[in-house]
Amino acid sequence: MATRSNFKRAMAPPQPNVIASLRNASMLEDSKAVLPAELINTILDYLPVPDMFRFARTSKRMQEMVYDDTRWIQRLKSMDCWNEAEARKRFEEAMRRKQEAQRAEEARRAGVAPPGGVNGLQPHDPQGRTSTTLFDIGIEEEKQRRSVDDRSKEGTLGQGLNDLTLQPSHPVPSPTVQAYTIDPHLALKVISRAKSIRGMARQEYGKIYGALAPYYFDLARSQSHTDPILFRTYRDPEQQAVMLAQMKIFARSDFSQGWYQREQKLDTMMGIFENAALREFEQGYDTKDFDGKMKRYTQVLVSLNGGAAAIDSFIHNHPLMLEKEKLGNPADCMRVAGHGSISLQPSLDFFKGLAVTLSEEASLIDRVFPPTVDIMLPFLERVAEDVISEYITPLFDEAHDASIEVYLKAVSGVFDQASQLAISIQPTRASRPDFREEAMQIIYRCFEQHVDLYLQEETEHFKRGTSAEVEAWEKRLIDEEQSAESFFMSNVSRQAAKRDFMSSFKKVVMAPVNVLPTFGTTSSSKPASTGPSLNGSTLDLPSRSTTPNPLERSASPQSLEAPTSELAAKAAIMNSRLEGIRSLFSIEVALNLTHTCKSSLERAARFVRLGGQSGEEAKEQCEHMFISLLQTLGGRHMKPGFDKAVNHMAAYKPREVTDHSKEGVAPLVAFLELVNVGDLIQQMVEVFYLQELVAAKLTDQDDFLSPAAKEKKRFEQMLDERVAAGLNKGIDVLMDEVEYICGSMQLPTDFNPAAGPNGVAQVFDIGPSHAARRIIDMVSSHTSMLVGSTEKTVLDVFNQEVGLRLFTALCKHLKRQRISVEGAIKLISDMNAYNSYIVSLRNKSLTQYFAALREMSQIYLIDPKNAKEIATIIADSDRYHGIFRAEEVYEFAERRADWYQIRSAVEKQMYGVGCSVM
Amino acid sequence: MAEEAKTVTLQTSDNQNIKVDREVAERSILIKNLLEDLGGESGEEIPIPNVNEAVMKKVLEWCEHHRKDPPASQDDDSDSRKKSTDIDEWDQKFMQVDQEMLFEIILAANYLDIKALLDVGCKTVANMIKGKSPDEIRKTFNIQNDFTPEEEDQIRRENEWAEDR
Repeated sequence: MATRSNFKRAMAPPQPNVIASLRNASMLEDSKAVLPAELINTILDYLPVPDMFRFARTSKRMQEMVYDDTRWIQRLKSMDCWNEAEARKRFEEAMRRKQEAQRAEEARRAGVAPPGGVNGLQPHDPQGRTSTTLFDIGIEEEKQRRSVDDRSKEGTLGQGLNDLTLQPSHPVPSPTVQAYTIDPHLALKVISRAKSIRGMARQEYGKIYGALAPYYFDLARSQSHTDPILFRTYRDPEQQAVMLAQMKIFARSDFSQGWYQREQKLDTMMGIFENAALREFEQGYDTKDFDGKMKRYTQVLVSLNGGAAAIDSFIHNHPLMLEKEKLGNPADCMRVAGHGSISLQPSLDFFKGLAVTLSEEASLIDRVFPPTVDIMLPFLERVAEDVISEYITPLFDEAHDASIEVYLKAVSGVFDQASQLAISIQPTRASRPDFREEAMQIIYRCFEQHVDLYLQEETEHFKRGTSAEVEAWEKRLIDEEQSAESFFMSNVSRQAAKRDFMSSFKKVVMAPVNVLPTFGTTSSSKPASTGPSLNGSTLDLPSRSTTPNPLERSASPQSLEAPTSELAAKAAIMNSRLEGIRSLFSIEVALNLTHTCKSSLERAARFVRLGGQSGEEAKEQCEHMFISLLQTLGGRHMKPGFDKAVNHMAAYKPREVTDHSKEGVAPLVAFLELVNVGDLIQQMVEVFYLQELVAAKLTDQDDFLSPAAKEKKRFEQMLDERVAAGLNKGIDVLMDEVEYICGSMQLPTDFNPAAGPNGVAQVFDIGPSHAARRIIDMVSSHTSMLVGSTEKTVLDVFNQEVGLRLFTALCKHLKRQRISVEGAIKLISDMNAYNSYIVSLRNKSLTQYFAALREMSQIYLIDPKNAKEIATIIADSDRYHGIFRAEEVYEFAERRADWYQIRSAVEKQMYGVGCSVM
Repeated sequence: MAEEAKTVTLQTSDNQNIKVDREVAERSILIKNLLEDLGGESGEEIPIPNVNEAVMKKVLEWCEHHRKDPPASQDDDSDSRKKSTDIDEWDQKFMQVDQEMLFEIILAANYLDIKALLDVGCKTVANMIKGKSPDEIRKTFNIQNDFTPEEEDQIRRENEWAEDR
């Protein structure tokens, strides 16, 4: 043929020759255009399999192209029958075996028989490894070798890989191929048995094709569902299902024209089959033939297409869906408890009933469905959607209509019961390991739509509650304003009382947290008492334990009860002790506020478990509640209290107060008590923050951006500011009082006793004067009140300020006195008393001041005869640690009773002769 | 309407100039890339040295009919072949040409990089081959038989599983 060479040319280096042929084509009449290999390859892809092999028979080159392994691997891959890793392993094994065989051959030639496989042809691994892979290879190799033995190598096309080992170059169809086309039982598993062997892809595909193609094409041609040979060959519905499923996979490797129609036909056929099987399944379900008909047809449907239809039907027709009213009526919750309140007992019954049904269902599912099908989750989803949601929605609506309080309790309580249900659900055999979380999620999803409203209401409710509390308190205050304010000066150890109070507070705050992990995990362990009837007044302190937290209640009612009442008692004691500041702010109010917040938080915090967006929102709301707690407590309650106290102090005028018999300055005492209480409340808030928000993971303590942490800082800052401002005022008040005492109580005779009958002043007692004792008592009692309630540094600063001011006041006071030598003893003992008090404050710089004062006071003791000595002492500034200059000491010296007598002598000594001129 | 003015002139291997809308010509990825490289200045004619006038006209006829088709996706994985649909009616009619022309069209589509046309051509050829005996195929494709009858028979028996039954 003239054109033969044409084709050949086109094949080798395609491009230039193709163009050449193109050019030729237009000139030469009878020459035909030919296609390059890549195009032929493309065309081959569109050919039905039988045509491909006819094509292969045309020439060696075409056979090579058709037999190309990648083409068949691609088909196997399209059916997910090709495992590259497996193929590589086989290939490597084959290589190894070949090398071994070679070595064995060499060894044999060398006359040394290796142990084990002598000729290397045994199908079993010489080392005794019996992995299936090796075994298969062995068989194939053996097969190949046999064929090689009696066949000439003439027909071999393979090079490289092919003649390595695996591609059996024998032209006889492999016996297995024949076997599959003949035995319908083997055909049932043909796809799962496909092996991934390089160089054998065509044969492997052949096995599948041989088994399935006849049925497949027959089915595609058939007119009705009774026609196909498939249904006549396989009588058993299980087998029919398996075959149909296999054909569905096989259809994916059908690339040739018309595949779409064929696949559609197959789908139609499968649909008909599925429907028939489903009818049987439903019949089985109706007649309660669980282990017989139902189980059988489940198997059929599962092997057909995963059993989605069976699952769907099972769920859809489940009696639970059809008779959900039996489980309970949401209106019962409202009816049982009467108007305006709610009982969660009916809802508990509802969830219990549901739990029982679900566990029955789980065992039924285990009986009917194979473990490969996870039906529990979709079933649960459906239950959640159809049963639970439909139960809770009207319940919540009704509760919302009744009152907010009832609504809040209903939502959180029912949510808790639902959580219990989620925990109690038993996984089936087919369930994944994360079944429990999934189940939890499904149940939670029902609540998602309610969460927004709930959280909003909860926050609102909380805010209203706290404002009401504070307002009520303020109102009461106004009512009582007329009654005499009695101030209370406690003699008890303040720190001890506070510590005591805080420890009981901590106990209460922590109690539910300790209790939580012990709650039951199965439905049966849910005690019947978990649904306490809730009346509307649970938010006040003593009955707090009846907040709708069944866990708390059921697990340890006693342990919770005790600290609560203990705390209440302590609060009462504390309150009575702090009677004095009753008009400013009340620790009871603070306690109530934190309790309200706690119960709200506890309810809201449950929803954090929802996760996702709702969980985040719940968290946010919890933070908001905490913030509004701080705002109400700080801004509305404590701040006005502090301000009032500070104002009281500012208005204090010692001279206008008639009764000075009491120790202490009333407004200052009140303020200092206030600081104590403020500190107590702050500690409470701190504990509350740590326990309720940080420990419950509602907020991150280290996150300085978190609004809760920020608000807490602001709250503390506000307290500190108030305390600082108050202390500032307090010092003024204290000093006013000191000056008043100095002015009113220091008798002129204290330091300048009148001369006795014998002309010598009598000193009756040696010790500080009455006034000095009063001053020291008063100052020390006030400063000591702050110990433990403010920071050390604040206290130091306060003490120092008090000391300095006291020092100035005393100096001023001294300069108003007249002191005789006899009175000096009294003065020195005064100064010693001051000094020893100041030393007790352990403030170094202060000690120096008072030491200097003490030194200075000695100038009064010197006999007037030694005027020169007086001058020396005045000039000796080292004595006074540089605190007094000579001029100042001189001023003090002027206060001597005998000053005018000794003045000139002293001045002479100090300034020399020049002064005498003056 | 400015779009309408955009035409290009193609010069075929036998030096014939064909004026055609740019949109139509751009069904060919080759021409499209070429035009892009030229920077839109389409004053001069574009030489298509591998395609003669008759074939070019035929190809452009197809392009004209398919001018509004969405551009061919570039992900040329093996699975996309499976998704290729059967030949539509217009294309079937269009492909009713003698075998020589059919091959020329396929080669031109291959050269001009018009994937859809190439697919249609290959499918048409596949349909042509369907059911033919090896001998007939050889004739169609100008293939010389280099098998002995025994060898040919061996191949047949080797793949007996694929025979129609």
